[in-house]
Amino acid sequence: MSVANRRVVLTGIGVVTPIGLDAGSFWTALSQGQTGIKRIGGFDPSPLQTQIAAEIIGFDIKKYLLTREERKQIRVMSRTIQLAVAAANLAIADGKVEKDKLDRTRFGVEFGAGLIPSELDELGIASQTGTESNIHATDPKIWGEKSIGQIQPLWMLKYLPNMLACHVSILHDAQGPNNTITESDVASLLAVGEACRIIQRNQADFFLAGGGDSKLTPLSMVRQSLFGHMSRCNETPQKAVKPFDKRRDGTVFGEGGCVLVVEELEHAKKRGASIYAEVAGFGSAFDRGLTGKGLGRAIRAALAEAKISPADVDHVNTHGLGSVPLDAFEARGIHEVFGTSVPVWSITPNIGHLSAGSGTTDLAASLLAMKHGTLPPTLNYETPDPACPVQVLREARPIAKPYFVKIGYTEMGQCGAMVCRRWE
Amino acid sequence: MRRRIVITGMGAVTPLGFSVKDLYENQLAGKSGVDYIKNFDASTFPTKFAAELKGFELSAFVKDPSRWKHAGPNARFAAAAAQQALTDGGLVDNAKVDRTRLGVYLGCGEGIQDFNHMTALISAAYRPEKNAVEPSDFIRRGLTRFEPRHEYEQEMHTTPGHLADYFDLEGPNYNCLTACAASSQAIGEATELIRHGDADLMLSGGSHSMIHPFGVTGFNLLTALSTENENPKKASKPFDLNRGGFVLGEGAGMLILEELEHARKRGARIYAELTGYGSTCDAFRLTDSHPDGRGAIACMQAAIHDAGLAPEAIGYINAHGTSTQVNDRVETLAIRHVFGSNAKNIPVSSSKSMLGHLIAAAGAAELITAVMTIQRGVIPPTINYETPDPECDLDYVPNVAREKNVDHVLSNSFGFGGQNVSLVVSRFRG
Repeated sequence: MSVANRRVVLTGIGVVTPIGLDAGSFWTALSQGQTGIKRIGGFDPSPLQTQIAAEIIGFDIKKYLLTREERKQIRVMSRTIQLAVAAANLAIADGKVEKDKLDRTRFGVEFGAGLIPSELDELGIASQTGTESNIHATDPKIWGEKSIGQIQPLWMLKYLPNMLACHVSILHDAQGPNNTITESDVASLLAVGEACRIIQRNQADFFLAGGGDSKLTPLSMVRQSLFGHMSRCNETPQKAVKPFDKRRDGTVFGEGGCVLVVEELEHAKKRGASIYAEVAGFGSAFDRGLTGKGLGRAIRAALAEAKISPADVDHVNTHGLGSVPLDAFEARGIHEVFGTSVPVWSITPNIGHLSAGSGTTDLAASLLAMKHGTLPPTLNYETPDPACPVQVLREARPIAKPYFVKIGYTEMGQCGAMVCRRWE
Repeated sequence: MRRRIVITGMGAVTPLGFSVKDLYENQLAGKSGVDYIKNFDASTFPTKFAAELKGFELSAFVKDPSRWKHAGPNARFAAAAAQQALTDGGLVDNAKVDRTRLGVYLGCGEGIQDFNHMTALISAAYRPEKNAVEPSDFIRRGLTRFEPRHEYEQEMHTTPGHLADYFDLEGPNYNCLTACAASSQAIGEATELIRHGDADLMLSGGSHSMIHPFGVTGFNLLTALSTENENPKKASKPFDLNRGGFVLGEGAGMLILEELEHARKRGARIYAELTGYGSTCDAFRLTDSHPDGRGAIACMQAAIHDAGLAPEAIGYINAHGTSTQVNDRVETLAIRHVFGSNAKNIPVSSSKSMLGHLIAAAGAAELITAVMTIQRGVIPPTINYETPDPECDLDYVPNVAREKNVDHVLSNSFGFGGQNVSLVVSRFRG
């Protein structure tokens, strides 16, 4: 087969989200308009201005790692890694993949990951020792002499961003191309795009591609508070995230992740896989000054590769954070290409802002919407904002066209766009 | 026909100097950039030395250093190297080049954590009786003590974002972090973006410093670093029998990758052609290489195949060569497997013997070294090579640079987690 003709399809979904711990329950919750945002229960959030988040309750990595050998690794898995590992296992199950039949050297892993926050308790004794002579500043001499020995030897491995992909590669014996894109909120979307390119150029046939993130720790929540962009609607958590609405006042973080099975079409057919969608186009760009032009360029590049026009698109799945400036930016980019003719959708009000895990989780939502034939509404949209010239649905409506576009961006201007076509 | 990719600009800030020329010529002279750590007081750490940048001032490189005053070391090193590479490639303020076709793909590490505040705040909020930190106490203190810009600059997308913003680079923008293979991977994937048609030019490379208290702590805990504190300049001795771990370095390396016809049309100077890229994973263990080198073998083979070459065409290998027991043994084994009986005839050297290990940025600095080797026809040595190891029996270009014309160079980068990347650069022939 000529390389130019290699087509890429999505054949498995593994999601771990605040509203569902597999594709089925995730879709049910989305279609019923459920949200996982409530007051933070994992720790006492009272000093924070934003005290709400979408936490995953009842997640236990042991449900996903069954053998003793596998479970030994849990001690070096931070929560972010655990979420990604679980999502990868679910993707394999959802895709009905018989791993033993895969060519290991053609089996790759591509992840999007963010900064993984240190777990504070692990540094407790070491920090106390380091500050024994001066409580305001650690004495590096004491740290070097005593504190280092009070930290567990494999400490650093819990926090390297490539460890999501590496644990998944080891657990599934994936020896093919392997990369971790650390591009903040657009990371996992770019990771899937890159996996598609690698399959197209015939360097792999099969990928686990996705991302995961959890910023629901004291350290990450402090950092995010300092960066701004968070809603203060602590009294009405379910209504806190209002993408593109004039009353929006910021986003709310969630945790979770999604891994997709990304596969060359003939490879998928040969193993009798059921196909969610074909990846028809992908593009990326930098939007300097957040004018919307760069985001528009990424979208146009993806449409051009898919050889379709804006009129062929059923909906645009957005980042839709509920942030005042960033929603306006995103809307400008969408408007550049689609005007107000194509509905946009955001699931951030349902699951919170998943950062590096958001791209693939959002993508999974649209894949499921295409499969079930219904596009759910964006929650909490009531008051249109002229600064956000996009069409936001308040009611569910049937899927009307075969293509959807997933977009993503960072607050610095890194943008990605992917066009998927429903498989029939 | 696949689009051909050439290198049309380079820049470097490394422990061996703040230019490509210094990086290369100091390697030919066999100089070591290693010394006792000055970034912080490491006098009681298990490892007290590293290869630091000495006297680096960003104002010597960029017109508007105030734009970078909040940026962390990764972004500052990257800005200096990018300025050099873009200037070298004739791309600064060049309106004739479509800026939307000029992107960025970096392999930059995490920014440096605020060690002092972090540990002091943890300590204040620590409750020994529970052996746990009281979250609300930590949060209360953190909100007033942490510096927002410093925290923000730790995010890994900030460096490519700053470069794109400052130098007006509006094409695809990525950062990857595959441990010690990151910037090689970035260069490989940037090449593929141009081949695919997503861009015509890419600024690619890496930037990283882990010479800070948490970084040295982490590597010391993994017992990955040399602790030969009596003689820092001799500590990095790749392939030597008495090697005992790697030596941290810091810095940045940047290259301009460009589609050949685009480069020709604008009359760009062509240093070399980027012909091959391979990426694999050991899928074995988090820190140990696969004992048979299976990932490294497949990776080198993939890169050579991608370049359309036979292994015999490779004239020099710039090794990953970290100076750890396992890496150097397994890399040797893998090279022997890929090159067979010809392996002993290929010069293999490790820039890390002089530069230290630039972690995410290592591959970029080493690829620049490989390009210069093609340009100048002199292979840099592996210094501190004294006692041969029976398990490392290749030609490591011991201690003295060697004149040899080479047309194709293989550059290896391997990282924690079993990440393997190999690149092939070739003498440009139209």
